[in-house]
Amino acid sequence: MKNKKLFFLLCFVFGMAFVQSQDLLETINKEYPNEPLKAQATFKTTRISIGHSVETRKQGLLEFHVMNRFWNTPAPRTQSFVADRMSSRIGLEYGINDKLTLGAGGTTWDGIFDGFLKYRLVQQQINKGGSPLSITLFQNMSYRSKATDNIYAFDSFGDRLSFTSHLLMARKFTPNFSLQVSPTLIHRNSALFEEDPQTQFAIGLGGRYKIGHHVSIVSEYYYVANPLETINTYNAFALGVNWEVGDIILQFQLTNARAMVEDAFITKTRTNFNFNDGNLHFGFNATYILHLKRNK
Amino acid sequence: MSKTCTIILIFILYSSLSPRTEQYITKQGKISFFSYTTVEDIKADNNQVLSIIDLAKNEIAVSMLMRTFVFEKELMQEHFNESYIESDIYPKATFEGIIQDFDSSIVGTQTKVIKGPLTIHGITKNVEIKTDIENTLGNYILSGEFDISIEDFDIKVPALLAPNIAKTISISFKFEYLPYEK
Repeated sequence: MKNKKLFFLLCFVFGMAFVQSQDLLETINKEYPNEPLKAQATFKTTRISIGHSVETRKQGLLEFHVMNRFWNTPAPRTQSFVADRMSSRIGLEYGINDKLTLGAGGTTWDGIFDGFLKYRLVQQQINKGGSPLSITLFQNMSYRSKATDNIYAFDSFGDRLSFTSHLLMARKFTPNFSLQVSPTLIHRNSALFEEDPQTQFAIGLGGRYKIGHHVSIVSEYYYVANPLETINTYNAFALGVNWEVGDIILQFQLTNARAMVEDAFITKTRTNFNFNDGNLHFGFNATYILHLKRNK
Repeated sequence: MSKTCTIILIFILYSSLSPRTEQYITKQGKISFFSYTTVEDIKADNNQVLSIIDLAKNEIAVSMLMRTFVFEKELMQEHFNESYIESDIYPKATFEGIIQDFDSSIVGTQTKVIKGPLTIHGITKNVEIKTDIENTLGNYILSGEFDISIEDFDIKVPALLAPNIAKTISISFKFEYLPYEK
């Protein structure tokens, strides 16, 4: 009886000794410094599809953007090859530091030139504490180089300027899924028509779902609270695929938005999203990233 | 009978509960990996590797956060974490090994084999790593190089980038240990 008790005790002590010898890896896993871990690649690209994401480029990174939209005219017969019309925005973006990005570009179809500043205010933290959201501030200024049809409107340089402010808020919910909400304020120096609001409010919704190591499906929608009165406008919608590989990022999308600058495509999209000619736009963005500054 | 048992018991208790002075730790271990191809050379360094050795049992453990690897190109680092090593899902790489025929009392450098399971990208493989162990008056430095195949750890490279990323990655490491105090 006594021996049996001792035997169990012995077993227990041996067990204890064994458990103790197992924890070498556990010992060092406890020694990790308690540093904040930031969410990486919430969207990976600076555009979700047609609109801006919370991502900014790191310091010294230069991005070349070529954004294209192709569409057909509703005319029953046309002579064009593949697509009747196309518009391109050629732009550059540069990371002044890890938080601040500066960008500029010009669009062929509507002749809008734009420049913007993007500042990463808060980055989501994935371990305990810190922010559950990433927040980026965006401000652009765009210049409409084409004259307006309204001969009564003031149309000096200052009148052709528009300003868009985004408060981009995003969260990476899982390693594969991110969502963004972006309250937006758009102000035009001249509304062209008296009935049209000079300042418009909109809210953008965007999402990304990663379906492969390098491929993700993205979608975006912009709701305008006080749309223009003098023309029929629709809310911009896009459904796309992003392909991120090496120094090149390709984005393909189906959208109803023809313009590529924020104030134009959010408030002045004149076609609804459907598959009719004139309405469906096929979009293709190519981004090439050049590292002007390298680590080490 | 019971007396011997008690003595054994006390001995085991003592040995298992006695403070361990035989453990050495590093928090700034260095691991680098290289991928050499004709198209592109890729190199990344991690200077925050944790490692511990237990000289009583000749055991070693290594643990590191994959996201602390620093690449020359920022975007490469993002791709590495997001698309290849998936550090959100598999944040750490770990190794546990036993140093074969190692006598910790010998001062100077000796080359030994460390055998044990290596876990990267959630996949565990048994590896043998030839290691130089330098003992300078009670401080230990472990260094060496070994190769791993990315296929073994289920790291997929898209066909387009196959010429840019080597199939075999060479890894070099250097750990300088100091006595571990809890």
